[in-house]
Amino acid sequence: MSTSPDPSSDRLAALLRDKRVIVLCGAGGVGKTTTSAALALAAADRGRRVLVLTVDPARRLAEALGIPPHADAPTRVPEELLRKAGVRPGGALDAWMLDPRIVFENLVKKLAPPEKAKAILDTRLYRHLTELVAGMQEYTAAEALHTFAENQAYDLIVLDTPPSRNALDFLDAPGRLSRFLDEGIVQMFLPREGGGLLRRAGRLVSSVFVRMFGETFVQELQIFLGAFSGMFSAIRAHTEGVRALLGSDQAAFLLVSSPETAALHEAHFFRTQIEGRALPFKGFVLNRSHARAATLPHPSELTHDAEVSQASLDKLKPLADRERSQAIADAQVLDELRSRAGAHGLAVAAPHLGDAVEDLSGLHQLAQGLLPERPSV
Amino acid sequence: MLGPRMQELLSARFVIVTGKGGTGKTTLAAALAQVAASLGKRVLLAEVGPEPEARSPLRAALGEEGQAGSIEPVPAGPNLWTVLLTPEAGHRAFLRDVLPLGFLADRAMKAEPLRRFLSAAPAFAELGILYRGLQLVRAEQKKHVPLYDLVVLDAPATGHALAFASLPQVLLRIIPGGPIGRAAREGIALLHDPKHTRAVVTTLPESLPVTEALELAKGLAQSNLTVHGVVANLVPHDPFTPAERSALSNWTRTLPMLGARTLQRLERARAALARLEAAVGSVLMVPERETRGRELVSAIAHDLAQAR
Repeated sequence: MSTSPDPSSDRLAALLRDKRVIVLCGAGGVGKTTTSAALALAAADRGRRVLVLTVDPARRLAEALGIPPHADAPTRVPEELLRKAGVRPGGALDAWMLDPRIVFENLVKKLAPPEKAKAILDTRLYRHLTELVAGMQEYTAAEALHTFAENQAYDLIVLDTPPSRNALDFLDAPGRLSRFLDEGIVQMFLPREGGGLLRRAGRLVSSVFVRMFGETFVQELQIFLGAFSGMFSAIRAHTEGVRALLGSDQAAFLLVSSPETAALHEAHFFRTQIEGRALPFKGFVLNRSHARAATLPHPSELTHDAEVSQASLDKLKPLADRERSQAIADAQVLDELRSRAGAHGLAVAAPHLGDAVEDLSGLHQLAQGLLPERPSV
Repeated sequence: MLGPRMQELLSARFVIVTGKGGTGKTTLAAALAQVAASLGKRVLLAEVGPEPEARSPLRAALGEEGQAGSIEPVPAGPNLWTVLLTPEAGHRAFLRDVLPLGFLADRAMKAEPLRRFLSAAPAFAELGILYRGLQLVRAEQKKHVPLYDLVVLDAPATGHALAFASLPQVLLRIIPGGPIGRAAREGIALLHDPKHTRAVVTTLPESLPVTEALELAKGLAQSNLTVHGVVANLVPHDPFTPAERSALSNWTRTLPMLGARTLQRLERARAALARLEAAVGSVLMVPERETRGRELVSAIAHDLAQAR
């Protein structure tokens, strides 16, 4: 591995050492989940207690880490597996694929008295609501972050965001929910006492709602929201707490991209979204690139044994030519990301590992390629 | 003359192209739409997005780099239109269908409590998008003559696509009555009818993407969607004979050099494609190309038209 004068990998190491939350965003198919897991592993290797939390409903992370895919809570990656992969003792790595149902249930149990919690969890509406997985990950990611950031069991949480245009929806969705849960608005849906303006506005809303959803559903919704109403301020407080944590210097946002134009466009789009929300953007991880291959020799410059025929060598040459021009182009992409990242930002290119990054030692190798040589503990 | 499989696919009214991110869904959806349009069908190519101001990947694939998506269909070539499906357009369309007067719908959309409810409640965004999509599938230019013969949807990535597919059934259980229940039933009738709706799953010739594509196809089928087939995109050209490949692999393994990475990729692609074919039968292979943008879409459209 060449040691470049570029300070990016030192900066990445500093993030892994100092931050409490690292959020990874990027287009689908750029290796976000793999990168999240590798960075979490690297932080564990540096002695921290780490949780990697994925909002991506795909099963990749669990597979790579060798943990069960539908666990109820974070699962500890077994010590002996970490050791076997070359990770040093001292730290710990947990992983969880966010399960919206469980996050909600824990929230209700935590906030409501037992009999009320049971009443909420037993409503037909609640049981079906959690079936609507679409969007729920986004609603519960912030709540999960709140829980894990609060309980002090982890020094660092690495969050892998969903592969969609609205990757930051996990920040906005709870805000929208809490705006809606704003007591004034909710009152309109609830059985009303009193009168005046609010009541008239409530009547208009009710009539539109009954037309849209039917009488039964609106009644169920009222009961549900009524049961929930005592919890709104707590939910809002959690959301605001997470927002404050993510906006603080204890958090870092990284963008993952491949050298493909479309993925780079998405990355720059996400960056404006991140900075527009005054969140701490720290830099880029360039995956699936040939950026580090520019110094490799061309097969025509090498001597070869008799096994390799001239015909096959002739076929290999154009492939090597293409890799070389790809390497040059990707190195330019990396340079541009570096200059875009700014004086204090970082841009690192992941080493090429073929399909090796499907298990812990692959993840460990990847992390070592992204980071400077490990300091001895 | 199209092959029978492609003919069957394009005779549907609604084709959903989905797969993991980075598998070329958008390009493939555009190419499918172009094939249908070249046969004289009126085709609407739809993408899904939260906000209309952002750059449209679909329009970029069609060579209009930097253009934003449009909430109303806009022409993109002969017999071809593109549209951005947004939650809000769906909510508005729904209210217009449900409320007796159009202006009431517009007023309701302006009502803060309702807007907040629709943007806050989980899954309502997805429902809006689905409703808007189905509205465009059902739109008529005159009685019994559809406005679009075919709507091709560049659907969201894996996890969200599965949620989308199961949405109407879940919805029907929650809200069986009223206009939403009715819309859900209509949606289900359309989505579950193989003559109307077919899904195409895109993947790459790599190990993990193939595993995920097989899981996605299974999940979609469990939601009663007809999976028409799997397309392997970006299949690399392999110039080597088996003997050449093995000799070169041995050599490049001992010595780091340019070209080794491509060789490894060829080997992985062969293994992944063999596994995919064993699981689903015939797989449509789309070769990797140097071109981009509209030229790439046209080249893939040519592949699709020739596919047997």
